[in-house]
Amino acid sequence: MVRGVLERLLQSILVLLGAALMIFVMLRIIPGNPIAVMMGEHVDTAVIRRMTAELGLDQPILIQFFRYLRGAVCGDFGTSYSLGRPVSQLLAAAFLNTLKLALMASVFAWFLGITSGIIAAVRKNSILDRLFMGGSLLGVSMPVFMTAMILQYFLAFRLKLFPISGSDSFAAFILPAIALGWNSAGSVARLVRSTLLEILEEDYIDTARAKGRGQMGVLLVHAMRNAMLPVVTMMAIQVSGLLSGAVITETIFSINGIGRLAVQAIGSRDIPLLQGTVLLSATVVIIGNFLADSLYSVLDPRIRKEA
Amino acid sequence: MNRKLTLATGCALAAGMMMACTAGAAEEGLLRTAVLYDMTTMDVTKTTDNYMVPMNVFDRLFETRMEDGTAQVVGSLCTDYAVSDDGLIYNFTLRDGVVFSNGSPLTATDVQYSFERLLKAGGDNMDIAEEIAGAAEVESGKSDTLSGFAMMDDLHFSITLQKPNAGFLAELSAPAMSIVDAETMEKVKNFGTECADTIGSGPYLVTEWVANDHYTLEYNPKYWGEEPTVKKVIVQVIPDAGTQNLMFQNGELDLVDLKDQDSTIVESVYKTMYADQIVSTPKVGLDFLSFNENQEYLKDVRVREAIHMAVDVDTLISSIYNGDAVREAGIIPAGVWAHNSELEPVSYDPDGAKALLKEAGYQDGEVSFELSMDNGTTDSNKKLVYQAISEQLKAVGINATLKGYDHAVWLDRRNSGSMDSFIASWGMDYNDPANIMYTFFGSEKNTAQRSLNYQDKDIIDRVAAAPAITDDDTREKEYQDLEKKIIGEDFAWLPLYENLHLYCIGDRVEHFTPQWAGFSDFYVTDVVLKQE
Repeated sequence: MVRGVLERLLQSILVLLGAALMIFVMLRIIPGNPIAVMMGEHVDTAVIRRMTAELGLDQPILIQFFRYLRGAVCGDFGTSYSLGRPVSQLLAAAFLNTLKLALMASVFAWFLGITSGIIAAVRKNSILDRLFMGGSLLGVSMPVFMTAMILQYFLAFRLKLFPISGSDSFAAFILPAIALGWNSAGSVARLVRSTLLEILEEDYIDTARAKGRGQMGVLLVHAMRNAMLPVVTMMAIQVSGLLSGAVITETIFSINGIGRLAVQAIGSRDIPLLQGTVLLSATVVIIGNFLADSLYSVLDPRIRKEA
Repeated sequence: MNRKLTLATGCALAAGMMMACTAGAAEEGLLRTAVLYDMTTMDVTKTTDNYMVPMNVFDRLFETRMEDGTAQVVGSLCTDYAVSDDGLIYNFTLRDGVVFSNGSPLTATDVQYSFERLLKAGGDNMDIAEEIAGAAEVESGKSDTLSGFAMMDDLHFSITLQKPNAGFLAELSAPAMSIVDAETMEKVKNFGTECADTIGSGPYLVTEWVANDHYTLEYNPKYWGEEPTVKKVIVQVIPDAGTQNLMFQNGELDLVDLKDQDSTIVESVYKTMYADQIVSTPKVGLDFLSFNENQEYLKDVRVREAIHMAVDVDTLISSIYNGDAVREAGIIPAGVWAHNSELEPVSYDPDGAKALLKEAGYQDGEVSFELSMDNGTTDSNKKLVYQAISEQLKAVGINATLKGYDHAVWLDRRNSGSMDSFIASWGMDYNDPANIMYTFFGSEKNTAQRSLNYQDKDIIDRVAAAPAITDDDTREKEYQDLEKKIIGEDFAWLPLYENLHLYCIGDRVEHFTPQWAGFSDFYVTDVVLKQE
C-alpha cells in the first residue's frame, strides 16, 4: 500500500516536471515577443534588448529552465511581467477563489448527479426518471456560458436572489458553482443511472435481498459501492473540466480566479504568470487523479489487495 | 422537528442571500464604475493605456481641458511660463504651496526627477522628455541629470529643448508627464504596484488595489484645488460587458462606458431606457485602414485609391456603429487644432474602383493582400468592420483575406513592418497634430514600425520638421498641406471614423464631462454627484 502510494507520488512529480518543461519550451517557441507586449507599442528595439537581458531571456533555454525550477521548488515563481507582482502572490489570491468555486461546483454536481441518478435508476421509466434524465441531457448539452448567463439574468438580475457578480461573499459563489457544476451533474446522473441499473440485475443483489436487507441497505451498501467506481473515475476527469469551465464562469461572474489569470497571461505573453498557472492547474489535476486512485482502493478491496 | 430545521435553514440562507445582495448600497460621495481589464501598473513609464491612476493621483504642469467647446491647454502645477524668441527655452513658475499626499512640498527638483526618470526607464512614454537637451546622455546612462533642465529655485526652472517645438506645452499635459515625488521614488523598489508608494499631488489617493478585482481612489485632503463631490471611487474589474450592463441596470454602477457594450445593447437598452443619461463627446482620435507600401499590390497608388473608392465608410458608421461615430477624411482628427474640416473624403464609388483597377492593368481578383486582425481587441464592432471591408473589397474584385492573430503575434508582425493591412486606432494624448503626424509619418523608423512603409522621404522630413515652426498659422498650413499630400494624393491610409466617448450615468450622478483625449480614462473631478 505504502509502496503504491510512493510510486504514484513519484509518477506525479515526473508528470509535473514534464508539464513544467513542456510549457517552458512551448512559451519560447510560439511567436510573439513578451517584452514588446509588456513595454507597449512604441518601444525601441534597444530597450527590448536591454529588458531581454535584464530578465535573463537571452540565456540558453536549459539554464533558464533550471533557474526557474530552482526558484519554483522554493515557492518563487518569478515576477509577473504584466502585473509587476510576485506570481506566487497572484496565484495564492486567485487559487483560493477557484478552489472555492470548484469545490462548491463539485459538491453541487456530485450531490445532484448521484441523487438524481439513484432515483432515476430505482424509479426506472417513471415520470421522475424521465424528468431527471431530461434534465441531465439539458445539463450535458448546455454550454457553461449559457447556463451562467441564464442563471445570472433570472436569479440575480430579475429575482435579485443572488449578487450579479463578485467574490466577496458565500452567496456570490452559488450561481457560478451551479453554472459550472450543472454540466458535470448531468454526466454523473446518467452514469450513476446506467451503472446502477446494471448492478441491480447482479446475483449478489438478489442474495442481499434474500438475506433480508431492506431496499435502502441493498442500494447504498451493496449496489452504490460498486456503482461508484466508474463515477469516481469520471469525477477525477471532471477536475480538469471544472478548471477549464472556470475560465468562462469566472469571467461572467467577475471572480478573480486562476482561469482569468491564465487568459490574461496568454494575451500578454506573461511567461512567469502563465507557467505558474499551468503548473498549479497540473498539480490540481494530478492531486485529483491521485485522490481518485486512493478512493478506488477504499471502494474496491481487490485493488487494495493488488496494491 | 426536521421540518422546522429545514425551514429555519432555508430562512437563514435566504436572509443571507438578501443581505449579500443589498450589501452594495452606495455610501455618500462614492462613485462606482467598472472596467473590462485591470490596470497593469500605476507607473506611467510602463504603460500607454492605464491612465486612470496617473490622471487622478498625479498632477502635471499643464492639463488639456475642454473650455467653451474647444480643448485648451491650461496651467495646473505651472502658474506662469515664458518662451524665448527662438522657441528653445521655456521658463516655468510652479504653483506655490503644493504638497504631495505625504506632506512633502512639490518643487522643481521633483519635476526634473520625473522627466529624467522617463528617460532612464526607457519605456513607451519617453518621447516627450527626449526633446529636452541632454536627453540622449541620460538615456544612454552617460549622464545622471538633464543638461537642458536648469533650476533657479524651488519654484522656478527652465527647460531647453534640442530644437524648437511649438507643441511642447500641450505635450506637457499628457499623462506621461505626471510629476512624482523624488524623495519617495528614491526609497521604493517596485513603483507602480504598491498603493502606499504611489504618492502624488493630485485630487485622489489610491488606497487599495486588489489585482483583477478592484481598485479604490479616495480624496486627497492635501490637494491644492477645489474639493470634488466624489470622495471615493471604486473601479471594479468586470471582464464581461453583459455583466456590467446588468450591474448598471441594477443600480450597482454609477457610470458605465458604453464603448465596451455591444452596439445592439446600446441601441435597445441605453438609447431607449436611459436616453437622458447618455453622455457623449468626440473621442479625439481616429480609426483607419493601413496600407503597407512594400506590399506587391498596395505599393501601387492606384490600388490604394481604388480601395478608398470601394469602401463605404458611411454605411459602416450607420450600420455597425448605429451612427455613434464621425467620418474622418484625413490624419488629424476633429477636436485637434489644425484639423481640416474642409477636407473631403473620397466618395463611395465601387464602379469607379473597378474601372481604376482595370485601367491600372489588374484582372478581376488579381489584387490580393492580407487583412490582419488583432484577436485581442475587445471592440466587437471593429471585428464587424473588418468583415464588412473585406466583403466590400471583394465586390470590386480585391481579395482582402481576413486573418486573425493573437495580440502578441499581431504586434510582432506589425512592428516588423511586414503586415499588409489592418485597422488601427489612434487616440490623441495631447492637443497637437504632431502627436499623430510624427508617430506615423515622422521618420522612416516610425512609418516602418507601423507597417506603413510610407515612401516619400521629403514628406517624412517635412513632418519631422513641422513641430519647429513657431508661428501657429504657418504650422497649421504646413500640417494641412502635408495631410493633403499623404492622404489626398498618396492615399497612404484610408481614414475611417472618429469614435465617440459614450457613457451612461446612473441616478446618483448629476453631471459628467468625459475628458478630451482619445482614451477612456477620465478625471474623477469631472463627475458631479447629486446631493443625497
